[in-house]
Amino acid sequence: MLSDAATQQFLPLLKALFSENAVTAEIYEAPFDAMELEVLNPAAGLYAFKPDVVVLIHSTQALRARYYEHGMSAEFDRMSRIWDALAAGGVVRIVQCNFALPYERPFGQFDQKVHQSLYAETRLLNSRIAQAAGERADVLVCDIESIASYVGRKHWFDERLWDMSKTFCRLEFLPHAAQAMVDLVLAGQGRMVKCVILDLDNTLWGGVVGDLGPMDVEIGPHGDGEAFYRLQKFLLSLKKRGILLAVCSKNDLANALAVFDQNPGMVLKRDDIAVFAVNWDNKADNIRSIRDTLEIGFDSLLFLDDNAFERNLVRNFLPEVIVPELPDDPADYVRAVSELNLFETTAFSAEDAARAELYRQEAGRRQAQSSYTDVTEFLKSLNMQITLGRFERSQIGRISQLFLRSNQFNLTTHRYTEAECTAMMEDESCIPLCASLSDRFGDHGLISIVVAWPQGDLMRISDWLMSCRVLGRGVEQYLMNHLLSMARARSLSRVSGEYLPSAKNGMVKDFWRNFGFENTAGNLWEIEVSAYVPTTTWINPAGIDNEGEKHD
Amino acid sequence: MIDPETARLRLNRVFRDIFEDESLEIADSMTAADVEGWDSLTHIDLIVEVEREFGIKLSTAEVRGLKNVGGFLALIVQKAR
Repeated sequence: MLSDAATQQFLPLLKALFSENAVTAEIYEAPFDAMELEVLNPAAGLYAFKPDVVVLIHSTQALRARYYEHGMSAEFDRMSRIWDALAAGGVVRIVQCNFALPYERPFGQFDQKVHQSLYAETRLLNSRIAQAAGERADVLVCDIESIASYVGRKHWFDERLWDMSKTFCRLEFLPHAAQAMVDLVLAGQGRMVKCVILDLDNTLWGGVVGDLGPMDVEIGPHGDGEAFYRLQKFLLSLKKRGILLAVCSKNDLANALAVFDQNPGMVLKRDDIAVFAVNWDNKADNIRSIRDTLEIGFDSLLFLDDNAFERNLVRNFLPEVIVPELPDDPADYVRAVSELNLFETTAFSAEDAARAELYRQEAGRRQAQSSYTDVTEFLKSLNMQITLGRFERSQIGRISQLFLRSNQFNLTTHRYTEAECTAMMEDESCIPLCASLSDRFGDHGLISIVVAWPQGDLMRISDWLMSCRVLGRGVEQYLMNHLLSMARARSLSRVSGEYLPSAKNGMVKDFWRNFGFENTAGNLWEIEVSAYVPTTTWINPAGIDNEGEKHD
Repeated sequence: MIDPETARLRLNRVFRDIFEDESLEIADSMTAADVEGWDSLTHIDLIVEVEREFGIKLSTAEVRGLKNVGGFLALIVQKAR
């Protein structure tokens, strides 16, 4: 590390950041402001150290001091002489910091029209650095200017710190600068994102395709779809530079593909996606299969999903996959991802641009092997708690809404108005149940409804629906256990249910069979109460944890 | 008006954090020579942390004019009004 500013504060930061990435960095700190002395002297400590990477930190403050002494005309030549000397000394990778643009404007806004002002000269120097670095593979630019302008020059510069200790920015921004350097060095070691794995509903478009239909999800250049449209444009630019895109979504594949193929608001088309893993399996398994199909490392995968449960599940099982938090508001998706500076690279070629297509073709040929992740431990760790009871007046609005909107996990798709829901609530011959679920990550609210009717020795289930947000948690198993024990308590001998196929509820066509029900006629299914085998779940009644301990 | 004794306690906490020494007790006559690890770099950390803790801004001249911890504390109390 060579600098005309203080570097001591960088050392612990760089070491910590490298260590976070499992890299042990040995850092040689050249004497303060001794760049030429070091690089031009073959006997210097720098060359004895044999660095893999040389980081050159030039500060705007030191540049300013030289500018006031003798202008800036010699600066670029000085810099390229340093690069040449390093290259001659056997250094193959140079990280050159560019300059935060100064805030001084002796000409006011006229500064823009004056070529010799400090501001204009610094800006020109930055662009000459960028241009020269573009022409030589050994020099990478650490874009300090973009960090400084993102946080704001007003906050970036702290002249007191410069005066007292030659620190080139406010202490709180040193980690940002250090991170940028580390990102470049790691990219040089091959650590970079090679594939972005995308959820669909409420990540790539607004709304749930299973409920709204392929043509009515929110996506397009205007209105509610614009935030998602912007994300897709950004993703397309990543794809054009060689980063693969894959889809991992709990959805019906035909439904999902229909959006890509038919919705005119979509930026990304089916061919832009290297692999589709669209099914109802858990996402860790699906990401494994995407990885196996593409044959790239887990540490080069980035997973974007609006659902905190899915993010945590993937983090839990695949800790190497990069899983950033996404903001609640889709309008901020691109910004949140950009702030993490995840898309470093050290080279760009025509092959990179063509890579996405090659991978897509290859993936099409290969059959992904499915693996199985034991999610039991994860589900246990969630400490899921359910509140289950008859409809209550305060819930009628949400209940009716679920009846009207749920399409996929909905056995009979009866649509009930609020008045009809209220009637069921008040009907003592009816058992109208609704369930709310929470876990250690938060409250999912009211997520499932089951309506049952005891008739003679039979309990007839007329409605069963559930929000797809809580698929795979064991909610339906918990409810079925509950219903069967209710039937037993009432000395009923049989439970019956119905599956009415719709265009969208294919995912539950084997629902009754999977619980051991037998098909009696047409769409009707039945089970003997004595024959039912309860399923183990990791859901507890609200207030009770996995160990059976009570909590408030 | 900040109470000098409260300020002393808060400053002591800052010193303990910066110099990573939970037994550190500040004294008016204390200077950099008395505290292990108090060099030009940790001095900057100390100044920045004190500014954050007390919501004040110290000028370069004020920082340069500091003689010992007692003077530092007096400056803090005066600025934090």
